[in-house]
Amino acid sequence: MKNLKLKNIAIALLLFVSCSDDFVNVDSQDQNSEDFFNSEQDYQKALIAAYDGLQSTYLNVMLGEIASDNTLSGGESATDVIGFQEIDDMIHTPNNANLRDLWSWMYGAVNRANFILEFQDKTDFSNKNNVIGQAKFLRAYYYFELVKWFGDVPFAVDKRIQFGDQFSIDRTPKAEIYAQMEEDLLFAAENLPYVQSEKGRVTKGAAQALLGKVYLFQDKFSEAASVLEDVINNGPYDLLTDYSTMFENDNENNIESVFEVQYSDLEGAGFGCLQCSEGNVAVGFNGIRNYTGPIFDSGFSFNVPTQEVVDEFEDGDVRKDVAILDIEAWASANSATFGVGFEHTGYFNRKYIARKGDLNTGDANLTNPNNYRAIRFADVLLMASEALNRGAISDTRALTYLNRVRSRATLPSVSFTGSNLTNAIYHERRVELVGEGHRFFDLVRTGRAAQEIDGFVSGKHEVFPIPLIEIQLSGNRWAQNPGY
Amino acid sequence: MRHTLFKILALFFVAYTSAQNIDISGIIQDESGIPIPGVNILVKNTTKGSVSDFDGNFTVTNLQVGSTLTFSFIGYITKELVVTNADYLTVTMQEDIAKLDEVVVIGYGSQTKKEVTGAVSIVSSKTIEALKPTRIEQALQGQVAGVNITTQSGSPGGATTISIRGVSTNGDSRPLILVDGNVIEDLSVLNPSDIENINILKDATAGIYGVRAANGVVLITTKTGRKEMPLTIEYNTYGGFQQTTREIPVLNATEYAILVNEAFAAGGSTPPFTDLSILGKGTDWQDKVFQNAPVFNHNIAFKGGGKKSSYSYSASFLTQDGIVGGSKSNFNRFTNNLSYNLDFLDHFKLTSGLTLMRTQKRNLSENALGSVLFNALNMAPTFPVRDENGQYTIAEGLGNEVINPLAQTDDTFNRSKVMRLSGNAGLSYNFLDHFTAQANIQFNYSEVRSKVFSPIVNYGSGKVFNKDRSEVFEGLDYFRDYTFDAFIKYENKINDIHNINVLLGTSVFKTTGEFTGAKGFDIKDNKLINASIAEANDVENINRALGRNPTFDSRLLSYFARAQYDYKGKYLISGVIRRDGSTKFGPANKFGYFPSGSIGWVASDESFLENSAMIDFLKLRASYGVLGNDRIPDFRFVSLLNGEGTYIFNDQLSFGSAAGAVANPEIRWEKQKTLDIGLDMRFLKNKIDVTVDYFKKRTEDLLVIPQVSAILGIGAPGSGPPVVNAGVVENEGFEFAIGYSGAINDNLKFSVKYNLTAIDNEVLSVSSDGGFLPGGSFGVGQDPPSRMEAGFPIGYFRGFKTNGIYQNQAQVDASATINDRVQAGDLIFEDVNNDGIIDEEDKVQIGSPIPEATMGINLSLDYKNFDFSAYAFASVGNEIVRNYERNQDLTNKSIYFLDRWTGQGTSNSSPRVTTGANSNNLFSDFYVEDGSFVRLQNVQLGYTFSKDAFKNSKISKLRLYASASNILTLTKYRGYDPTASSGAPIGGGIDQGFYPNPQTFLLGANLKF
Repeated sequence: MKNLKLKNIAIALLLFVSCSDDFVNVDSQDQNSEDFFNSEQDYQKALIAAYDGLQSTYLNVMLGEIASDNTLSGGESATDVIGFQEIDDMIHTPNNANLRDLWSWMYGAVNRANFILEFQDKTDFSNKNNVIGQAKFLRAYYYFELVKWFGDVPFAVDKRIQFGDQFSIDRTPKAEIYAQMEEDLLFAAENLPYVQSEKGRVTKGAAQALLGKVYLFQDKFSEAASVLEDVINNGPYDLLTDYSTMFENDNENNIESVFEVQYSDLEGAGFGCLQCSEGNVAVGFNGIRNYTGPIFDSGFSFNVPTQEVVDEFEDGDVRKDVAILDIEAWASANSATFGVGFEHTGYFNRKYIARKGDLNTGDANLTNPNNYRAIRFADVLLMASEALNRGAISDTRALTYLNRVRSRATLPSVSFTGSNLTNAIYHERRVELVGEGHRFFDLVRTGRAAQEIDGFVSGKHEVFPIPLIEIQLSGNRWAQNPGY
Repeated sequence: MRHTLFKILALFFVAYTSAQNIDISGIIQDESGIPIPGVNILVKNTTKGSVSDFDGNFTVTNLQVGSTLTFSFIGYITKELVVTNADYLTVTMQEDIAKLDEVVVIGYGSQTKKEVTGAVSIVSSKTIEALKPTRIEQALQGQVAGVNITTQSGSPGGATTISIRGVSTNGDSRPLILVDGNVIEDLSVLNPSDIENINILKDATAGIYGVRAANGVVLITTKTGRKEMPLTIEYNTYGGFQQTTREIPVLNATEYAILVNEAFAAGGSTPPFTDLSILGKGTDWQDKVFQNAPVFNHNIAFKGGGKKSSYSYSASFLTQDGIVGGSKSNFNRFTNNLSYNLDFLDHFKLTSGLTLMRTQKRNLSENALGSVLFNALNMAPTFPVRDENGQYTIAEGLGNEVINPLAQTDDTFNRSKVMRLSGNAGLSYNFLDHFTAQANIQFNYSEVRSKVFSPIVNYGSGKVFNKDRSEVFEGLDYFRDYTFDAFIKYENKINDIHNINVLLGTSVFKTTGEFTGAKGFDIKDNKLINASIAEANDVENINRALGRNPTFDSRLLSYFARAQYDYKGKYLISGVIRRDGSTKFGPANKFGYFPSGSIGWVASDESFLENSAMIDFLKLRASYGVLGNDRIPDFRFVSLLNGEGTYIFNDQLSFGSAAGAVANPEIRWEKQKTLDIGLDMRFLKNKIDVTVDYFKKRTEDLLVIPQVSAILGIGAPGSGPPVVNAGVVENEGFEFAIGYSGAINDNLKFSVKYNLTAIDNEVLSVSSDGGFLPGGSFGVGQDPPSRMEAGFPIGYFRGFKTNGIYQNQAQVDASATINDRVQAGDLIFEDVNNDGIIDEEDKVQIGSPIPEATMGINLSLDYKNFDFSAYAFASVGNEIVRNYERNQDLTNKSIYFLDRWTGQGTSNSSPRVTTGANSNNLFSDFYVEDGSFVRLQNVQLGYTFSKDAFKNSKISKLRLYASASNILTLTKYRGYDPTASSGAPIGGGIDQGFYPNPQTFLLGANLKF
């Protein structure tokens, strides 16, 4: 009997098998971020991710024009992307969704650059300074955007901002951020070659040109002039003779391109994640509404040039027909048809509107492959000219550079000096760089915004408001920019 | 003489040995003397037993004198007899009207209805068969108090959302669903005719399932054979057609032209329609898009059992076309179910089952901006379906999303095929009289194959659906999971007074899977027949671009114990404790403990109520417990490089490594503390059955993905906020169910059942920073309209309150407006905080998708050979956002626009029409409608041929019936279907052209032989 009982219990226990607590310890198949950077390949992969943030700056480019007197917001109606409309009319508030996107995307990119720099000492390899140089350039680029748009911003160097940090980090005065940018760009300029093995990577010239711009924005004229002239004299860049090909998709990364943000039509995109798109979203947004006809493709008719900027071009300026598309004239000459959107001016930003010939990978409006020429040699020449002139260093050299730009545009040379030269340079900057996102900040940094932009209030609109929700989500400790 | 002596000696010998063991035979019959086959006879405290045969006869061998035999059968009161001798037994069983012995499945075991201390509801197979659902969830709607079903889509195979006692989390609020112990996520794979019953555990007694039980547990038992049952074959079939319940009234061509002209003039442009007389009625796009669609179902089942075994096999086939899109939106399902149970070696019991199921589903774009119905509503009636060249008309000037819906249907090619194999096997072993050891294993394996072909199409310039390059996508996903349970039970009734039940067990669950897919381009001749990855160009693997691992591995490990005690079946108490470990949480908080307890008092057994004439049964019960929830994405406690980091170098895509969502190593179980107090009562000779429950569920440490500061980098591609435990949601409510069954005379029997659930949902707190979670979408480029915020119901709608229409300019000048473009004829937005400006601060709660009360009523009548049943359910107090209007210059509009403002005093409800800039499209209560409704869900009339008709054939039952579903809905809601909802806790209840539930008319037959 007892045997039977034992047998019963034994059989029962056999059925009662289980697992140890380790059963629920499973490792992820994905790489753990704290265990990374063990080889050069890891650094290179993280670097690619840091570059990715450049593609979301399409928003900065669009808004830099819309906020200025160059373009109107446009779109389908007065409520199409309300955030754009408000910035156009200078009635934007801390509740602006697009400013929040800009802030969010730039910080996403900053953290990716800082991720590499946080672990820069972990592993050594021969190519390391090249990688670190590129990472530092990118960090400087993203912080430059943040400082331009928002002024004093939370600042992290060589480490990511981690979950929990947002409650103790403060707005850092922009002078401090500029100082770090200068340091980063000097390192990049010293450690990068003029030509990299892959098109699209940061080069020495790019670092120097950005450094010059950063100096110029701080009115540090002699430093700006010095580094920009270095690029002019020693860099492998020149002005493109045939301006009409400057912004075409078959002439990307050409001799005039000092730094170019790369886009492609190889991958699909959707409105759910605009910052994920590998295409230039601005190009679709700027495009001609409901267009059928040759050369161009449809878009959402945002960012439309004003008559005022069209009139700013001098007669005979070849750049006018490259920068501005007169849609009425074009349509009748080419039997094309188009729709009329909100705030229709009859003009489109021809440099960055959709063209035929790309793969139109879905969503076609979001996957245009037009690269953004972030820094062109013409811009370098004009910045050098401005620095030399406004810094009272050499009006002669300033004139040389200015006239180089003008003669490429088949315009006669000028011989102004002093403040007349300054104004000539300002005018030249406007017509050379219209549609490329620089106008608003050029006006602000030279003190001309209040007189040129309708609704601009001095002491308030030089910077944009920090998104209110961002202030709240960081513990409500930051002061808002004045006037908002 | 020697013979006789020998015989006497033999008798003595036999008598001596038989004094230990005898054989008993007998017959079992009901009160009218009719034999009952299939009755379970059990020798108490053993597994030894027998089953009565077709004529009610039974035999039990090798029985000890003095042992007790129990006789049990569904619908009859269990009887016990002590065996004193070998006499032939005649056992009379009484019908159990009270159904107090009805078995309730409660988790790793069962109790009788009388003993249950928790809030459990049962839906029987009779109800399921009467409702003829194509999906199981339709059988639960309106049947059970506390259970609310919303359909995500009326399309064939469309998904539904089950919520038990309210929405208690912003994440996954689906209940745990087990079919014969097997975890099921998608109920569309189950064939309703295979279901024996559905038991729903609504309160803390579901706690035996620990994690995942916080949203309630649905236990589904499938039909099996029974022992000593001759082979029966059942064949069921039905067929019929479906049509839409309604079309939304929109303007016809002439009305449309008048309005468009008016709008253009108001906006300062030239009116486009010069001659209105030639327009007539134009095209009724909805009429063209909706069609009558067939549905057919065949089901055959074989069931039987021998002395020690039982088996069943069933096969069924369902095909259903869609009322939008016909065969482009159809669903086919083919299922096979096999089960086999065996008792062997005296103490062992084996159960096993296998299911093979295949489904195929095609669907069209639905409930989204630019879906087929959305386009049918917004398409201009002045356009014909085809133009003069016979091509589909281009939707000129109607914005970038609206296209010809018939062209859209023709150009949609997608198909999803699921093959699923499920199995279970269980072994139970009885020993030492009172112990049972049991081990079960269940597994599921599914393959989901999807294919989408997008041909080159051009719907006009600027349309977002245009495709320049044809594309094919083929996906193959694998899902595998298994569950292993093992437990030991001790059951004993001491002195016939103390009933003890102790259970100790363990459960292990593992689910893994893999998502693969490829996209290719340039399909030859732009034809579906050539659309395959093998023949496409530029094939890309979808996992490469995403930068993350396409597999998942998620597990649960649990230990549990339960003790139940009752004193004379009158005082009941039960307690459960469970320890769960989940792979979703980090080392810090991997394990959680979930205790719960319940008590009950069968007051009607007390002396003061025992002989009551009024009250036949009264039980009071209460339960309280802590349940858990771990339904969040995997690995959120560790920082992984599964984000997207792609750039272009040398004109090629370069894939980098980027951080994914921000990690939070501290995440832990969501805890739900739930209290239930209930009452079950029967009176008037068990004719009236009442159940009342009060419940309060409080979910703490709510797992949310809140908004966090963007300086953490969450705006980068593939990144996102962390999961945090930060929020408290409370659901408090009350359930009431009453049923009356009676007979007017021998020929006419009827029953009426009514149930009511009232729930109050409130978010008590949401992650402090920012204070709310946004969700849902409205219009184009507008802020999310729904929120989860402290002090409001979850997913409430937030926007401007309107107060009529401005009748003249003076009125506009005298009030606060949102901008200076507001003029007479526009909506008046209320300046809620009276600060002179209309802005964010004036947005308030303007509705909630959660109903205040839901109720169901079921009526059934049996008259001679006829049976009639009707089911209706209602929802009160839920609101729906009307978001199917595109509001472009040339899109069509609903007929309420005929009441628009055209001058002073002409309207105070609909604003003016204009193509100019205006703020009337901003989200306000103008777009929120009352979604309360009453729906007559099913009416069925059947006729069962009398047994005499088939005396000489093998047929034992033939029933013919006609049924109609969803035939009448009473509601003020202007959209297609007030049950429309995506089911999302935040963002649900927003109608973007919801595919309506069809009206179905069926004829069917049940045949048994």
